[in-house]
Amino acid sequence: MWQRRAFLKAAGTGFAASLLPRQALALEGSELIFASATLTEAGSYGAILLNERGAVITSLDLPDRGHDITISREANRGVVFARQPGTFALVFDPAGREAPITLTSSEGRHFFGHGVFSPDGRLLYATENDFEAAEGVIGIYDATDGYRRIGEFPTYGTGPHEMLLMPDGVTFVVANGGIETHPDYGRAELNLSTMDPSIVFIDRRDGHLVGQLRLDPGLHQLSIRHMAIDARSRVWFGCQYKGQPADMPQLLGYATADGEIRLVELPADTLRDLRNYVGSVAISADGERVAISSPQGNLLVALDTEGRYPVLVEGLRDGCGLAADGAGFLATSGDGEMIGFAGAAHARQVFDFQFDNHMLRFA
Amino acid sequence: MRRLLLALSVLIAATPAFAQTTTPSEMLRSSVHNVIRPAIKTLSLRADELVADMEALCRAPAPAQLEAARAGFAGAALAFGRVEFVRTGPLVEENRVDRLLFWPDRKGIALKQVQAILAGEDAAAITPERIRQGSVAVQGFGALEFVLFGTGAETLATGMPFRCAFGQAIAANIATIAGELVAGWADPDGIALHLTAPDPAYADYRTQTEALEGLVGLMAHGIEAARDQRLLPFISRDGKPAKPRQAMFWRSSLTLPMLRADIEGIRRMLGLSGIVSDADLASAIEAAFGNALAAIDRVTGDVETAVVDPDQAAALLDLLAATQDLQRLIGEELSASLGLSVGFSSLDGD
Repeated sequence: MWQRRAFLKAAGTGFAASLLPRQALALEGSELIFASATLTEAGSYGAILLNERGAVITSLDLPDRGHDITISREANRGVVFARQPGTFALVFDPAGREAPITLTSSEGRHFFGHGVFSPDGRLLYATENDFEAAEGVIGIYDATDGYRRIGEFPTYGTGPHEMLLMPDGVTFVVANGGIETHPDYGRAELNLSTMDPSIVFIDRRDGHLVGQLRLDPGLHQLSIRHMAIDARSRVWFGCQYKGQPADMPQLLGYATADGEIRLVELPADTLRDLRNYVGSVAISADGERVAISSPQGNLLVALDTEGRYPVLVEGLRDGCGLAADGAGFLATSGDGEMIGFAGAAHARQVFDFQFDNHMLRFA
Repeated sequence: MRRLLLALSVLIAATPAFAQTTTPSEMLRSSVHNVIRPAIKTLSLRADELVADMEALCRAPAPAQLEAARAGFAGAALAFGRVEFVRTGPLVEENRVDRLLFWPDRKGIALKQVQAILAGEDAAAITPERIRQGSVAVQGFGALEFVLFGTGAETLATGMPFRCAFGQAIAANIATIAGELVAGWADPDGIALHLTAPDPAYADYRTQTEALEGLVGLMAHGIEAARDQRLLPFISRDGKPAKPRQAMFWRSSLTLPMLRADIEGIRRMLGLSGIVSDADLASAIEAAFGNALAAIDRVTGDVETAVVDPDQAAALLDLLAATQDLQRLIGEELSASLGLSVGFSSLDGD
């Protein structure tokens, strides 16, 4: 692998523009692709595509640390977004036939690390920071025109993080984390006393606000950051608490487009072990189980979305990435581990790179 | 007495010994006993001295007393700088970090609130209770810096009772908080126990590995915060102009001394905890600290002159590079050498 990476670098390309035939075959033969941003052993940032057996299909080099990845079959492209406050997004061909292109955020904006394609693959959307105004926006890019930025919508809040497209194909759900940051201050949180996190539903056709949901005002320091959508179109969200550590509020809840928002009650010892922090949220393939991870607490948690079964927990050091697999989930860690969890049969694997916070499952 | 204490602290701080072979248990114990507790205690002593200096100034206003109060401010603020990276336990409870030093403050909230209080001249607004229970932005060093060094501060030397009383109240609040930090770290069942003898029953540190990860994380975050919140906001880079008025403590010319205190505090922790056992890594870390401190030494003017002087502006960029090296060395290489997983997902999640 290292020789291969050296070759790619020497060839002056950031991506496997000319994949070996066997690897291209592996990609097309994959029923599932898992994708994650990485940190390599040599200390450089990248992203990796794995098949369902956990074999590396290919890897990309990134100029700096990546965060989440989205892939569109219709666009035949994937995108790795820079981690906030990064200013690049790398658009790549998952089959490796064409060279990747690097997008740069526009003046006065940076990426927050998440985004989605439109169902037809013609538009790419990304959560971004209008940092002088301390307002979140969704940047809109035309995939049919070299990913030119053609406009933006407001997110009706500060510090948007993950965004997803609802099953109706026209409504975005965005987690406004509520935290103000400005690139002049790196990743420092500038408004902890006045945070106002929310979940918003936005019409992707014209950007109008369909609905905005907030938790109890006493929980205004509970930053809503990551989400996944279950079989009943409920949006499960995971939070990071920025208030007094001893408060230990609940960290997982769901919201609906009908205007319901609530936190679910995790067992006290599970909540304590999450350390006021949820790093990723995923829904199982059947849409009936939700998993969350806490790299701070080295813990994975899975729940039945209808509350029928007991809560499952498993330890994973620095575990954060989560994706549906089989009946359960794959989980990845900053130690380079990948394990099956809560019903996934995947055997534990250890890679020579570190997984970043998120893993994408692409079927 | 004060001079003796200063001399002692200089002596102790002189040569942190890197590259030792120490057990995790010894590292944790040494961090608490040899580094954190003494540094917190020093902060408390300096804060008490500041209270006395302010009291003397208000009782008998004179240029010399104002100078003494300003020196007292510097002593206490820099003592806090050496320990502010220890963001666990008492420092993160009850908003103590923000109350001691409200920063970053991009919109200048503290300044507006301090000016409003000064303009109001309402004695009821500066009682200990009102200060303590009021806005975090007017409780600590940021507010006191404006009182002692901001517009109109020179009047303190000739007698400006309300302004002085306000400063005195802030100093007393700082001393109270510092006392709470001492008590918190002295509590036999508190943070010191949890950090030195982790237990699965504790909410904060369940294992030695978690405690070590916590310590390394504090140091890596401390370097990152110094760089992102104290250096980046005002230096010129990527073609953007410098913004010297965005520098913390530009009024008191303590911007660079505070950065030095931050960096020295972390250097001291690394040295005295014995957490760096690999000799090559130890020399790389020591070299990076040396580069950082040498860069600070080259910034001889106040911030406004430094950013326009080519040599000093270059030194600020060298300091930036050294802090980036330190963050990588501590957050990634030290963490890896200890078999910890601090460096990636959990260090500063997203």
